[in-house]
Amino acid sequence: MNKVKQISEAIVQLKWDEIAALTNEALEAEVPALEILNQGLVPGMSVVGTKFRNGEIFLPEVLLSARTMKTALEILTPILSQQDTPSMGRVAIGTVKGDIHDIGKNIVVSMLEGNGFEVMDLGIDVDTERFVEVVRDNNLQILGLSALLTSTMPMIEETIKALEKAGLGQKVQVIVGGAPVTQAYADQIGADGYGADAVAAVEKARDLIAT
Amino acid sequence: MAKYTNAERVFQALERKQPDRIPHFELTIDRKIINKILAGASYEEFIEHMDWDALVHRDRDFLKEEVLSESPRTTRNEWGAVKRYTQEISPIPIEAPIKSEKDLANYKPPDPDEEHRFKQIRRWVKRYKGERAIVAVATDHNSITSDILGFSERLMAFYTNPELVLRVHQIVLDYQLRYINNAITAGAEIIFIVGDWAYKNGPMFSLEHMDKFVFPPFRAMVQEAKKHGVYVMKHTDGNCWSFLDGIVEAGVDCFHPIDPMADMDIGEAKQKYGDELCLMGNVNCATTLSFGTVEEVRQETKEVIRKAGLGGGLIVSSSNSIHSAVKPENYVEMVRTIREYGRYPLDIKSLS
Repeated sequence: MNKVKQISEAIVQLKWDEIAALTNEALEAEVPALEILNQGLVPGMSVVGTKFRNGEIFLPEVLLSARTMKTALEILTPILSQQDTPSMGRVAIGTVKGDIHDIGKNIVVSMLEGNGFEVMDLGIDVDTERFVEVVRDNNLQILGLSALLTSTMPMIEETIKALEKAGLGQKVQVIVGGAPVTQAYADQIGADGYGADAVAAVEKARDLIAT
Repeated sequence: MAKYTNAERVFQALERKQPDRIPHFELTIDRKIINKILAGASYEEFIEHMDWDALVHRDRDFLKEEVLSESPRTTRNEWGAVKRYTQEISPIPIEAPIKSEKDLANYKPPDPDEEHRFKQIRRWVKRYKGERAIVAVATDHNSITSDILGFSERLMAFYTNPELVLRVHQIVLDYQLRYINNAITAGAEIIFIVGDWAYKNGPMFSLEHMDKFVFPPFRAMVQEAKKHGVYVMKHTDGNCWSFLDGIVEAGVDCFHPIDPMADMDIGEAKQKYGDELCLMGNVNCATTLSFGTVEEVRQETKEVIRKAGLGGGLIVSSSNSIHSAVKPENYVEMVRTIREYGRYPLDIKSLS
């Protein structure tokens, strides 16, 4: 099996303790870092996403696959950053003000990174002003807003309103998600997309950038 | 029909029998909602005002906390978990005490025999025994171990260090068995085992992991309570269809909250498990109680009664808790509707 395929399978088969060696071996064999990313990590996380969506694997497997992928990405990033590497798109993502839940958001971040997106993770309890500032100061295609609580969900709408008020409504496309969020809510508040789960969020990001 | 005490009403429902009317209480209600309905009322005053059929003693309210920061309020509890408070009733864990084998070697769990944990139950026994049912919440090993090891770290350790997970589970279980024993000795009549095992699409873990890490300590908790002849309830959010059989087989009397946000339909639950389980739920607190109109709440409450009330074995409540975003008038309407339409024998025509 070629080294890139081995890396891809290591992500799916949870070989968290072998991935660093596999990645270094591939680089030593002069496999380009971009090829390891695009043909190893991206397809690996894509399989993980599909299996998760189909109910074949669960949170422990997704989290460990994401960690395995990140271990490889940490080795590749210094090399990729020296090259003019094309990315799938630039995304900033955060959990809205008043909400400090981050597990769902972190899975989305991992899935996005594993699919070749550049991700700015703004963390939890993010002020509306901070979202506005990040959109204004960065060349982003997508902003992801997450809320786990019914009580914090209105902050998603507040953030979208604040972007519009700042004249940034057209500068970025907003994807929303989190346990209480629904497609109907996303439509109601004027979001550009809704991610029912991490896989859907990645697909939506890809679709919005393509259109 | 004979008039029941509030407590008898709950016990009848837990035995899947038909009392005089459908009982009501909540696992949790936010202090802000209590204040909006009955300003300044104590929990007990509120329960009497709303005529809840049971009082709920929450174990986590009696864990001592060391304040690490006031703004934002951040504390370390007796399990060693660092938590941050938000506007919600339950603080969120932000740092776990056990990150390595070395941390485990030095780890000291809380003492389950400390009297302050059970004082409230003893007080309620004196005041309410025989009138209102007394429920003691026991947070399950799944939630506590997540706090001790970190939610994500623990789940990954199912693969990377399963022995560590099992050892921490045993520490937690030793505590819980003593806690349950002490709560029952103090006078608790129902043990409510609380901890989430699922999210909206399905279980958090594979059935293989549930058999290894989740069910064995859970069954031990249920058996400890059953040994003393008390009732056992189980709460978990999420879509639970794939493992609900395991909860029934463990000997649980009642399942809560049949999460409608996770495609859990209470009519289907009644059809499948009505002979084995009392059901508690499931007026939607993520949508209807928070954003709906009073009329929508009324309709949904009637629907819950219509789908799952026949023959008894139903406690109507919210689909999780009365959290801070629930409209107080909607909560009051839900209770009013339970009282109006939940009298046995049910008037099915009026419920459609």
